[in-house]
Amino acid sequence: MAVINYLTTNIFKQPSLFLGVIALIGLLLQRKSFGEVIKGTFKTIIGVIILFKGVNIISSAVSPLSGAFSTLYQLPEANQFNPTGWLDFLGTNGSTIGVVIVLAFAINLVVARFTPIKNIFLTGHILFWMSFISVAVGAEAGLQGMALTMFATFFLALYIIVVPALLRPFVKMVTGSDDFTIGHSSSIFCLIGAGVGKLVGDKEKSTEDIKIPKSLEFFRDTTVATSLILFITYIIVGLIIGGTTSQEVFGSALGSISTIPGMQFDLFTFSLMAGLTFGAGLTVLLTGVRLMLSEIVPAFKGISDKFIPNAIPALDIPMIFPFAPNALLIGFTVSMITSILTIIVLAATGLLTYAVIPLAVACFFDAAPGAIFANATGGRRGAIVASMVNGVIMVLFVALSIPAVFNTAAGFNQLFGGNDFSVWSIIGSVIGKLF
Amino acid sequence: MAKLKVLAVCGFGIGTSLILKMNIEKVFKNNGIDAEITNTDITTAKGMNSDVIFTSKELFTQLEGNVKASLIQINNFMSSKEIEEKGLPVIKKLV
Repeated sequence: MAVINYLTTNIFKQPSLFLGVIALIGLLLQRKSFGEVIKGTFKTIIGVIILFKGVNIISSAVSPLSGAFSTLYQLPEANQFNPTGWLDFLGTNGSTIGVVIVLAFAINLVVARFTPIKNIFLTGHILFWMSFISVAVGAEAGLQGMALTMFATFFLALYIIVVPALLRPFVKMVTGSDDFTIGHSSSIFCLIGAGVGKLVGDKEKSTEDIKIPKSLEFFRDTTVATSLILFITYIIVGLIIGGTTSQEVFGSALGSISTIPGMQFDLFTFSLMAGLTFGAGLTVLLTGVRLMLSEIVPAFKGISDKFIPNAIPALDIPMIFPFAPNALLIGFTVSMITSILTIIVLAATGLLTYAVIPLAVACFFDAAPGAIFANATGGRRGAIVASMVNGVIMVLFVALSIPAVFNTAAGFNQLFGGNDFSVWSIIGSVIGKLF
Repeated sequence: MAKLKVLAVCGFGIGTSLILKMNIEKVFKNNGIDAEITNTDITTAKGMNSDVIFTSKELFTQLEGNVKASLIQINNFMSSKEIEEKGLPVIKKLV
């Protein structure tokens, strides 16, 4: 008893150690050597620690911007959520999130073994964040303990089984083979893209016949692209709110943005540092995720290979990038423009009562892949129109998901939402109201 | 010679490159090639010391000329056949 008590109150309360235990079990099941087991377990724990540090850096780079938006549009006090509240929630519920991943994956395996739905969800980081969203919507509905774990498990299982199955025929259309489907937060935009493309376009006129200038290719380096966009956003927002206000709002954040103490405030330096700090945070976060997943995903795949020989893996979205790289670039540019315009228009008319900031990450990884599907059904016109539509509704999704998970994952949706994370936050909160 | 250093590269270095890495591992194992395979993102890849880099079509041009390693372009990361056909001739020259 004492051992179990110690494990649950000490070890399992630390998400990093808990995920280390999962990796340890996975490695032991694969009968790895002693050295590999130690290495893999430690790398996983270090990965999760790094991931949390990365998230902290990203938050410090973005929270001045949220502050500025609140000032700019005079958002009601009651609608201003704690921008780092989601981190606290992540910290206190880390172990539940881990348990939910394991249980939902087990359900996925059983369904793939015994039903015609053969997809197995292997995109580790989406599993992690969607589990976080599932636990968040459960907690918002007032669930705790066992009930929370059960609810979140079924909610996550529903997502990882149904959504990749819906996408499978469209992935086949894009890639021309049935080797894999997509398991990623961009699914909603891929489905909308395929639909819009079919309605408006002509699939014979593909985006891939267009010559894209080489000078635009650096945009494919997402870390650089998002840093640049955040830098420009800071400059523009700073100019709009004016000298004194920007000094006040941004100046107070100098301590967390500067690399050494004693930084003086001026808009250009601050914006440059804040934008690039975001890029730095993103790099740190990704390093952490990479360390964590390089042990866990092969373990999951090993288990699925053993029990379900004819399984179809549901994989990360860049798997389809090589099939239409031009569509991707068009999708990113067009959705970025329409989403920023939507934020400006909605905020200026007073319709947007929550701080929605430009969604650089979601535009690249979620809206832009929609253009690849739109190109497959409706060519270049389909890709452009679908990206315009996706840019607009992305902002609406974020705005609707913030109140849905106000006390738990609002800050997360503000930074990384607009995609399935937001959509399923909204769905979850509707289901949660039934309890 | 020292153990062969191989990179699997995608934009973020998390999902797709991990799948590619797992498939490269499978191909190498079947062909008895001993190598240290790491998955990483494109920015980090430029600064890493490696012998061979596997990557996708849209990232290939960005690495071209920026790295000393031999570059191999893979269109379908799930295709062991493609990894084998494009990768093995290059590897054989190095080992």
